[in-house]
Amino acid sequence: MDNMLLALAIVSSAFYVFGYYRMPFVYAGLILQIAYLFVRGITLDRMPLVGPHDTLFFMSASIVLFALPVAWRMKERRKVHHASVGMAVFFIALSLLYKPHNSPLPPVLKTFWFETHVALSFFSYALFGIAAILGVLFIRNREREFLVLQYKAILVGYCFFSIAMIFGGIWAYLAWGTYWLWTPKELWTVILWLYYSLYLHARLSPWWTGKPVSVLAIAGFIIVMFTYLGVSLFMKSSHSF
Amino acid sequence: MKILKKILGYFISLRTAIWLLIALICLLLFGSLVMPGHEEFQALHTVALFDWMQEMPISITWWLWACIAVLSLLTANTLVCSIESLIRKREARQWLLIISPQIMHIGFLFILLAHLLSSYSSFKAITYAYQGSVFPLPNKLEVRFNKVNANVDAMGYVRDWSADIEYFKEGKTLSQDRILPNSPSFMEGLGIYIKTVKVAPFPVAMIEVSREPGAPWALAGGILFIAGMVTLLFLKIRQEEPDES
Repeated sequence: MDNMLLALAIVSSAFYVFGYYRMPFVYAGLILQIAYLFVRGITLDRMPLVGPHDTLFFMSASIVLFALPVAWRMKERRKVHHASVGMAVFFIALSLLYKPHNSPLPPVLKTFWFETHVALSFFSYALFGIAAILGVLFIRNREREFLVLQYKAILVGYCFFSIAMIFGGIWAYLAWGTYWLWTPKELWTVILWLYYSLYLHARLSPWWTGKPVSVLAIAGFIIVMFTYLGVSLFMKSSHSF
Repeated sequence: MKILKKILGYFISLRTAIWLLIALICLLLFGSLVMPGHEEFQALHTVALFDWMQEMPISITWWLWACIAVLSLLTANTLVCSIESLIRKREARQWLLIISPQIMHIGFLFILLAHLLSSYSSFKAITYAYQGSVFPLPNKLEVRFNKVNANVDAMGYVRDWSADIEYFKEGKTLSQDRILPNSPSFMEGLGIYIKTVKVAPFPVAMIEVSREPGAPWALAGGILFIAGMVTLLFLKIRQEEPDES
């Protein structure tokens, strides 16, 4: 079963690569990714959102899932699709380096608050990734359309991230008796939230408009990746189960 | 009068908000890097923040004091900016678009207030309880652990656990409850949590008793923030061009 699923993951990234030539391959790749997550969810009897394998794969699918509507009405949508698909393939490859987490969930993780907290966090990470892509495309092409969509992607991502943080706080309060823990992971989560709050305020100031906010969005995704992977690798955190 | 106007101008400025956010990010970044290197930070999980900060040397806590100072300025900035924005745009047509960021700001301030209250008077204690254990609580009640339950699967994993508890006041039963993971029992401001259990040689539960006075404020702040955010999102996403708020 594991090998069959692995094959499904590899085929989905192959479809994404073919998507550089024909768009329907991207849709097929996304369907396969969703099927992979769905089958894993059914097999495990829970949402497949524990451990780097599942979360990286989930984020990869989310990037394509959100890139399609974000670029839907754009003149230059192929550029956005190509970069998003490249990012998605990179995260699929990265997810395959980690062993899937198949053991039962600890009771503390069996809650609606945990599942929505994680799912919304990765939706927001995907949107911040798309915003970074739009930032690069704006710097290269100087088309205002990229900047407008970057703002919208970040606004939706910020909304998801804020809800994820609040749900995480509710879960922590019910599980550990406090909605806040003093660990590097929590600090980096707040840093990330403050950073995108900074983005949303900075874009209102004329000095920051254009290239500076694009650079902010690109740097933001580096912070996202450090918050997600770097903190878990280099620092002890409450998010290690 | 001129000085007052200058101070007000400073707090109304968007530039002030931006620089305060940058300062706060830098301080938290520094904190996240020094925390893993100092064992003293482990105690932060067991006592109220302000009690801990007063006991620890300033060489370890200075960034937290600086964060409090920056957050105080950010609170003033948020309040003044929100009031000024509401006054300036009071006659605009799209009042929902004007008010939704201010609702988010109020939610943010509620969350800050929650942290302030919890930092001042939160309480946490951990103990181990077996069947029949009785503990006095800080709110003058007593709690007895009538039963500690564990569900062990065929592989030997403890899949689930719970404990049946009973509250007493002056020897009389007040109420009974069952605590499970993610389902604590609350009584007169205190929460009783079951963290884990050990089944051999006899069932023992790791219990945490905590008081988090900021929790209702944090929840109210979270609800306000989401309400403002979702409203703003729907209004902004419909616009082709981003609008100033």
